[in-house]
Amino acid sequence: MSELTELDDLLARLLRRIEPRTRYAEVMAQVSSGESIRHDRSSTVVQPGAEIRGAVFRAWGPRGWCEVGGSQLDPDALEGYATTLLDRLGYGGGAADPPGVAATTRGEAATKSSRPIDEMTLSDRLDRAKSWYAWATEVPGVKNAFVSLDCRSESRLFCSTAGARTLQTVDRIRGSVVALAVEQGKVEYDYTGSGGTGGAEQLDGVTPERVAHVAREAVELLQAPEAPSGKQRVLLDPSAAGTFAHESFGHGAEADQMVRMRSYLAPLLGTEVGPPEVTIVDDGSYAGGWGSIYFDDEGHRSGRTVLVDRGHFASALQDREAAALLGRPATGNTRRADCLSRPFVRMTNTFVEPGKMTFEEMVREMGEGVVLESCTSGVEDPLGGQMQIKVKKGHRVRGGEIVGILPSMALSGKVLEFLRAIRGVGPAEDFRMSPGFCGKGHTDLLPAGTGGSYLLSEATVGPA
Amino acid sequence: MSASPDAAETALRVADQLKGGDGPWDVFGESIRRYELHLNGDRVEMLRGPITVEGFGYREIRPSGDGVRIGFAASCDLTERGIARAVQAATRAGEYASFPAKGVELPYELPRGLNVETVDPSLWGRPAESIEAYVSALLAPFSGRPDPVPSFGSVRVTLSETTLANSAGAFGRYPRTTADLEFAIRASGGPEGAPAGEYWVDRRSTRLDPARIGAEASAWAEKAKDARRAAPARSGSVPVVLPPEVLADILPTTLGFRFSASATLRGMSLPVGELLGHPSLTLRDDGLLPFGLASAPWDDEGTPRACRTLLEAGRAAEPNADLLHGNATGRASTGSARRDTPMAKPWYRFPLAPSVQPSTIVLAPGGAGSDAELLESIGEGVWIEQLGQAFPDGVSTAFGGEIRLGYAIRGGRLAEPIRGGTVGGVALAGPGQPSLLASMELIGREPRLVEGLQAPTVGIRPLSISGP
Repeated sequence: MSELTELDDLLARLLRRIEPRTRYAEVMAQVSSGESIRHDRSSTVVQPGAEIRGAVFRAWGPRGWCEVGGSQLDPDALEGYATTLLDRLGYGGGAADPPGVAATTRGEAATKSSRPIDEMTLSDRLDRAKSWYAWATEVPGVKNAFVSLDCRSESRLFCSTAGARTLQTVDRIRGSVVALAVEQGKVEYDYTGSGGTGGAEQLDGVTPERVAHVAREAVELLQAPEAPSGKQRVLLDPSAAGTFAHESFGHGAEADQMVRMRSYLAPLLGTEVGPPEVTIVDDGSYAGGWGSIYFDDEGHRSGRTVLVDRGHFASALQDREAAALLGRPATGNTRRADCLSRPFVRMTNTFVEPGKMTFEEMVREMGEGVVLESCTSGVEDPLGGQMQIKVKKGHRVRGGEIVGILPSMALSGKVLEFLRAIRGVGPAEDFRMSPGFCGKGHTDLLPAGTGGSYLLSEATVGPA
Repeated sequence: MSASPDAAETALRVADQLKGGDGPWDVFGESIRRYELHLNGDRVEMLRGPITVEGFGYREIRPSGDGVRIGFAASCDLTERGIARAVQAATRAGEYASFPAKGVELPYELPRGLNVETVDPSLWGRPAESIEAYVSALLAPFSGRPDPVPSFGSVRVTLSETTLANSAGAFGRYPRTTADLEFAIRASGGPEGAPAGEYWVDRRSTRLDPARIGAEASAWAEKAKDARRAAPARSGSVPVVLPPEVLADILPTTLGFRFSASATLRGMSLPVGELLGHPSLTLRDDGLLPFGLASAPWDDEGTPRACRTLLEAGRAAEPNADLLHGNATGRASTGSARRDTPMAKPWYRFPLAPSVQPSTIVLAPGGAGSDAELLESIGEGVWIEQLGQAFPDGVSTAFGGEIRLGYAIRGGRLAEPIRGGTVGGVALAGPGQPSLLASMELIGREPRLVEGLQAPTVGIRPLSISGP
């Protein structure tokens, strides 16, 4: 962080230079670095993550927000960004206030870990990746495994003309194993992974048992029958339940979509949207969460926002502008993918709170249907309220028992119908958080955690 | 034509520092200016730019035992210290790496005289003004109309200069423009009383064409209205028509890996000469296609780009290769090294090491005629206008997603709109097994360039649809 703290005085001076032409200005400076390991049968690749750095100035101008920035942090470059911003603001930007209330937070924070990343040598990390590979390929029929282990450290300094100054360093680590089975030209795989903010402790979820399990399932998938089609009872595993919370509900709860009249949830704020078993939360302060941050990119502290409180749509996620329009406080969810990207209202760690129904009880309750496992993707539809969740595999349930493995499937349907049809939420011992990346549209990818326990409902399912 | 002198200068400075280094190395430099306009409704919400990015990726390839050690590092710290730190990091990373190639030779010169169209000149010269003119044309059809209306949008333009230098003495640079349009139209009026409908467009191209965008936006507005009155699809295995806008989300990713020497090296190669697609199907990978997103005079390692066959009359040809995977599998590079992928589309590429990727997949026009004629041939089925997202799986080639908008086909014509349900399958399977490529019975004659694919509309018999 020291490189950023050395910029404090300069950034403060540049903000003072901009201030006469605007009612509000801010700057976010960032340095980040990391490392990634890829290992499989053919090759081992070790790449230091790109040293992405830079700064972006934002100010309220005559036509709305105006931003100028770049990838350099030397004084000349920063002076240049500020000068260009002044040119673009012209002389009409100081007449009106920007929407909402500016944050005035002052604070510093950094990721804490019982086993910090930098206490693991590169050799240690490589050994770990190779042991994961060995666990997978020990399973008969598994020809290869793609192993990845990534870590990244990112520091951000935020200052504004309203007096906010926040400085944070967030360390993230995640690993995954993709076990590959090949037979007569057909390729199948299954995967497991683990990750979060912190250090080596975040990799503890990748165990020999877990890797061997997905490796065996990869082999089984080669012989799996086609997935059943049509509306049916579905049991989402924690990865799919977390994606439901994020893609299907969370995106609709991003209040910038409400401001644009682009959220099917907007008219439902304060109403019942699901059964009392369902509570959905976004929590940027979740300990060890992959999407955890200390402060957002408008200078607000991150925190826990209960979106659905026992079936009641209680709150949206708000930046300063949406907060003002909705008459609610900002929730600390304004995030930039990096210093080169614009800010939006974004999720952090979004999850369904665990319930009480056991997995066995839910399988018995569903009678006939499919269990959807190993989520690979989800897509939002904020206005239409539709959902798409894809999984790598599943299991068929007949007569209240699991009877066989199924290949990749897509789930679709109306989010509200799915919510209202929820018949059970799994217990805390099955709750898991998953590390993923979220786009706003198809761009601006940033780390977002998703989580949940098992979730029993109804939806349309088909091969995908 | 230069975005800034720094891209070339950076690569040269890194190259200069490395003179006399061990083994082959190359430096990929980028200098970028980015401009963005974001809309909230029809109101400008944010203007961004210039956002300037200068960075480089450095790679070194050192012999080691039976293979090579590849070190790579990237940085946008252009100071002497920053460059030295990146080189040290790459060397350190290489000490732990291994790859089964031998005697890798980098190109000693870059092709000259190839005039590949990669730039929109008006965008390059006047980016902010070009965006404003484009957005005016985009919004014009909605002026004074209460419904449908734009709900949000953005135009993001990237002007980049790419530089490559290597230890064999090659040095060259070329400019490129890309433009991302995201635009959502909301329809809520009328007597239906149903929730609002939306049509969402998210696409990347190399040019902005204000002369065409107004008509396109008007057509999208009609689709937003259709989305309101659409009903879910019915389950079944039915003939399906896929326009290039949908195929572009499926084919480049599902074919890119399996038609690569990277898949060959990993035991997932395709049987060359075997019938994997319909006999009327021919696929090429064209790295020189005018205004293709990845078109360039040379690939990201300096090998000349080319147009090559992947599938001829349904039979698989040799896979794509870059220098390293080509070497490891006994092939020459086909000019297929790329630092981005058809799926992941970062607007700056220097942080990524090269891998084997297709440039623009070209599906050769067939004999099924215009879209109207193709519909007549299909008779009954479903036209998929837009998927939530196909999220194709490059390894298994499975694809599929929710139908955001489609149309029933009745009596050879488009009928009522469809929304909801899923469609999916596998793009590529072994000889004699069902797949998207094997089922492409009808191939239209009117190709369109959509991101990483140039293709006409195709008719598939059949594809699996799951409805409620």
